[in-house]
Amino acid sequence: MKTIGGILVIAATSLWGHIAAEKVGNGYKELQYLQKLLYLLRGEILYARSYLGEAFLQIGRTAKSPYREWLLSLCRQMEEERGRTFAGMWEESVRASLKDSGLSDRELQRLAAFGNQLGIADAQMQIKTLDLYLEEIKLSMEEMREEMRTKMRLCHCLGVMSGIFITVLLM
Amino acid sequence: MENDRIRRVLPQNVRLALSRDALEDSYIQELRLRVDKPLLMIYDGHERMIGSQRDGPYLVTKEDVREMLEYVSNFSLYAYEQEMKQGFITIEGGHRVGITGQAIIENGRVKNLRHISSINLRMSHEAVGCADPVFPYITREGRLLHTLIVSPPGCGKTTLLRDMIRQISDGNRWIRGMAVGVVDERSEIGGCYRGVAQNQLGMRTDILDGCPKAEGMNMLIRSMSPAVLAVDEIGSAEDVHAIEHAMHCGCRMLATIHADSMEELRRKPIIDRMVAEKRFERYILLGKRERVGQISGLFDSRGSLLYSDAMSAPC
Repeated sequence: MKTIGGILVIAATSLWGHIAAEKVGNGYKELQYLQKLLYLLRGEILYARSYLGEAFLQIGRTAKSPYREWLLSLCRQMEEERGRTFAGMWEESVRASLKDSGLSDRELQRLAAFGNQLGIADAQMQIKTLDLYLEEIKLSMEEMREEMRTKMRLCHCLGVMSGIFITVLLM
Repeated sequence: MENDRIRRVLPQNVRLALSRDALEDSYIQELRLRVDKPLLMIYDGHERMIGSQRDGPYLVTKEDVREMLEYVSNFSLYAYEQEMKQGFITIEGGHRVGITGQAIIENGRVKNLRHISSINLRMSHEAVGCADPVFPYITREGRLLHTLIVSPPGCGKTTLLRDMIRQISDGNRWIRGMAVGVVDERSEIGGCYRGVAQNQLGMRTDILDGCPKAEGMNMLIRSMSPAVLAVDEIGSAEDVHAIEHAMHCGCRMLATIHADSMEELRRKPIIDRMVAEKRFERYILLGKRERVGQISGLFDSRGSLLYSDAMSAPC
């Protein structure tokens, strides 16, 4: 009975460790997806000269959830709501639609602030601003990648070890 | 104001100020916003100041202008860079938003505008049937004659051109329906929204929106083989060259140009040669002495008067 209990505790904590490790990996994957969306936005601005609402609609149609909902609701707000600035709408929609996306708080904050730099300059300047933000994301991803392996291994180890530790204590 | 398209681009405070006055949409011709100056409107041909008797005229703020610019550009100024260089943006419905401010110069040419201080919203009006009187004179045996509409700004040349395109495309008692190619450089003729014309241009009309005239005419000739080509506000040497090319390709031409009178047209550089060579077979001169869109004179290639609104007016 004790052995079965011990195995169950170790299995449960290992699973916890595995989920924590997955979460670390997800943050990276989400950031990678956001980077892809921003590259699409860059293409829409550079090659099609689409205005923001049009570009969000185009990208949003094929994006995965919750980015799809985020972009489509932003497009709808731009069409329907008057009396608000674009930066305000962008910030609010990022906070409302992407809070459970798996992006870190730091990335969400940076994305919310990026709205201030959209739509205000000429095309050349707009592309440069986007490039700068994409570069920042790239650096963040490099940092994450370096830390990710260690963190994931740590989560797995901690899961198993904490299970063994608890089992020993209980026995 | 009932017109939703226009209301959507107005700043909230301006919308509020306008809603206090009982205004008839079809009479609104222009709306002028100048920073720190009263909000003005051209209404039924007369200037009108917007505001209440209690608070005085509504003074336009910098914030109003910034807000309107955001709406006009769909929050995407970069997408309207080319239009900004020319000093105006055309919005959904073909309404023109003129802008002035400080010009940014690069290599001796205007690159963009900043510190926008004035906005002039000019309403585009569709007047279905306004071209009816000219058709007996611009057609011969069911064939359209090369026609140039001559008019000072704000006299309804685009409105007339639009109705002529519609009638030629659909056909009427003077002419059978034929394919019309329209190069709408400033999106004023069709009032295109996402490439689709919002104004009535007829069932046989192909429209090239936002394309430079000269290039657009050649593209249409190659791709759509139009029987009639229509362009608005010609003036450059490239335009004249493209028109001559189109005429040699067998297309009938419909075009408009800015000028006060036939004399002024004959003095216009580049265009004077076309007039002397009798390239256009008919000239429609517009004015607004009695009303906007009044036909002051319809002339043949030699300059002989064929028709005017004054001739047809009851004594």
